[in-house]
Amino acid sequence: MSAGPRRIGLSTPALVGVIFGAAIMVAPLIWTLLLSFKSNADLMRDSATAFSGPYTLENYGAILQGSQVFRWLLNSAIVSLGTTAGVLILCSLAGYGFARLDFPFRRTLFVFVLLGLAIPEQAVILPRHQLFAELHLHNSYTGLILPGLVAPFGVFFMTQYFRAIPRELDEAALLDGASRFRLFWKVLLPLTIPAQATLGVFTFLGSWNDYWWPLISATRSDRFTLTVGLASSQMNYAQTSGLGFLMAQAVFASIPILIVYIIFQKQIVRAMAGAAVR
Amino acid sequence: MTRLAWLLLALFALGGCGGREQKTEIVIQRFFGECGAVYGQSIDVRAAETECGILTTLINRFEAENPDIELSINVVAWPGYPQLSAQIAAGDPPDLVTMHQSVISDYQGRGLLEPMDGLLREAGIGPRSFTAAGRLGVTKGGQIYALPWDTIGRLWHINTRLMAQAGLMDGSRPILPRSPQELLDHARRFKRATGRPYLIQAQVNAPDYYVANLYTYLLAHGAVIFPDGRHIRLNTPQAREIVALFRTLNAEGLTTRNQDFPAATASFMNGDGGIFPTGTWMIGPYDQEAASAGRPLQGHYAVLPFPRLWGNDAAFVDGHAWVMPRRERTPEQRRALARFLRFLAANNFEWTRTGHLPAFQAVLATPEFRALPHRADIAAMAATGAQLPDYVRRQSAIQGLIGEELEAAVTGIKPVEQALADAERRVNELLSQVL
Repeated sequence: MSAGPRRIGLSTPALVGVIFGAAIMVAPLIWTLLLSFKSNADLMRDSATAFSGPYTLENYGAILQGSQVFRWLLNSAIVSLGTTAGVLILCSLAGYGFARLDFPFRRTLFVFVLLGLAIPEQAVILPRHQLFAELHLHNSYTGLILPGLVAPFGVFFMTQYFRAIPRELDEAALLDGASRFRLFWKVLLPLTIPAQATLGVFTFLGSWNDYWWPLISATRSDRFTLTVGLASSQMNYAQTSGLGFLMAQAVFASIPILIVYIIFQKQIVRAMAGAAVR
Repeated sequence: MTRLAWLLLALFALGGCGGREQKTEIVIQRFFGECGAVYGQSIDVRAAETECGILTTLINRFEAENPDIELSINVVAWPGYPQLSAQIAAGDPPDLVTMHQSVISDYQGRGLLEPMDGLLREAGIGPRSFTAAGRLGVTKGGQIYALPWDTIGRLWHINTRLMAQAGLMDGSRPILPRSPQELLDHARRFKRATGRPYLIQAQVNAPDYYVANLYTYLLAHGAVIFPDGRHIRLNTPQAREIVALFRTLNAEGLTTRNQDFPAATASFMNGDGGIFPTGTWMIGPYDQEAASAGRPLQGHYAVLPFPRLWGNDAAFVDGHAWVMPRRERTPEQRRALARFLRFLAANNFEWTRTGHLPAFQAVLATPEFRALPHRADIAAMAATGAQLPDYVRRQSAIQGLIGEELEAAVTGIKPVEQALADAERRVNELLSQVL
């Protein structure tokens, strides 16, 4: 049995190219990891000392001893999971509606939803901030989760997936006396699990890494998400006098994401390859 | 049994109500990082180090000494202004906020900050107790808008071992140039003697670096940089002369090139050049390096204000301050704020251990302050330090624009005159759009 490269049919130059590309991608991550295990004082003198010992866990110790880091971790988990659950529910329902139901202005409404893809978050940040202030939603989980539920890509994605499911399944279920909701819930929704997994993973990753909205909506430190909390714990000139700590923060913040990636690797790769919608 | 349980519960609830002390809560928002892991419980201010450590222990001590006041602390990501703006927009700003003095005009100009004359008076703090630089930094439109906390600025951090090698020491004191020509002479002599550049400069990703140099020497000339709040005057013979000097230093290799701040810091620590013009905040780390055995700086570190190359002694400075966003406050909260401000002012010396200069004259004169490493050498900056006029807004954005053009001029991408003209035009465009 030959090794992996032949199995995926790569020629030697292509393999070299892929390895080279992978090395370029991985190098900053390894660099970050090495820096995170060095003392700040050593790195201030010369960051190249990252390639040689002594290594230390003091930067990670400082993060774990931070007074609120586990609170921020919990906040991030609540916001990310809440956003993911909300997006999956809303996008599945919307996708089913656009793909299967006939109602007035369906096409117009669908185009209207898709227009949301073209509007960057920064363009709506001021009115959204003022609206949330009027509703007293800042510094709350609701305030952090709600904006993430606006997911035009998710609606489009689920609509396309529902459209790809044969209509014969609907007809058979309706003939058997299933209601519309039962048809959605029992027949079609289980078939969209791969798409749900893909959408869920991407939504979770986006929400976990979000910085801008939590930065201005969560202004009380007990409501910070991990990204904002870690940024707030940096001292001035962290890139000079606290480089190791800075890198340890980056590694620490990415650990949950790494876990999600390991668990949902298949879905992420499929989504990247554009194979989730068929 | 059930009745007894209810009775106990009721007593417990009543006890809880009676025993709870009514505290006055004030919300303090600050940058300088979070260091609860090390200093979360400490009230030993003298033992604390770093900006974060000293401020955290100060706050802890105030709470311990004032049990009737509860400080709710928000530590924000540097520099915290997006969050503050968002809080103000949402109608829920904190009670007291750390702010750079150069930023105060941006908020004060829109009526978002409260004048603090009255509150400071209530706290027993008079503006005459501030240093000249501190007073200038917090006075806007004739009123005091903040409690000044320090003065920060650029200094010449000097490797005296290399300076001695170049014959640029007078005993233990570095010999600094007194004219542009002398600066070039010293730099050439230094390079011949040591084989290393005279200056170490953070030129990459540091737009404020050249701007601080330019402002400093324009102020030394007594130049009016901003005749009003809508215009900058930059393409002048004086500015051209200053920028041309830095261009020559760069062209002749008398300075390091293409280094960002961390790289320049490492260069200085490793003895790769003679003088690193950078901030007051680096005195601590460099002093520590000078005390470390076997390091290039060991026993050979000095720090002095910028030398006078033109006109008068001057230094472009900034500072940290405590401002009060406009909002409703109870009389109890105002009294609590006054007590906290009084406490901060009384402990201003502790903050100067960070390397920053004090905001209070009294601290400047204490033997305690003068005994801190190098402070006697740099204390003059508290008097010579100057800021831009109080009507100049968007100072940070302006620095970004000028910095880009100066970088182009110094590295030879643009002729000096064109770069200064472009900088002037771009800044004036920006200022014309300020609301």
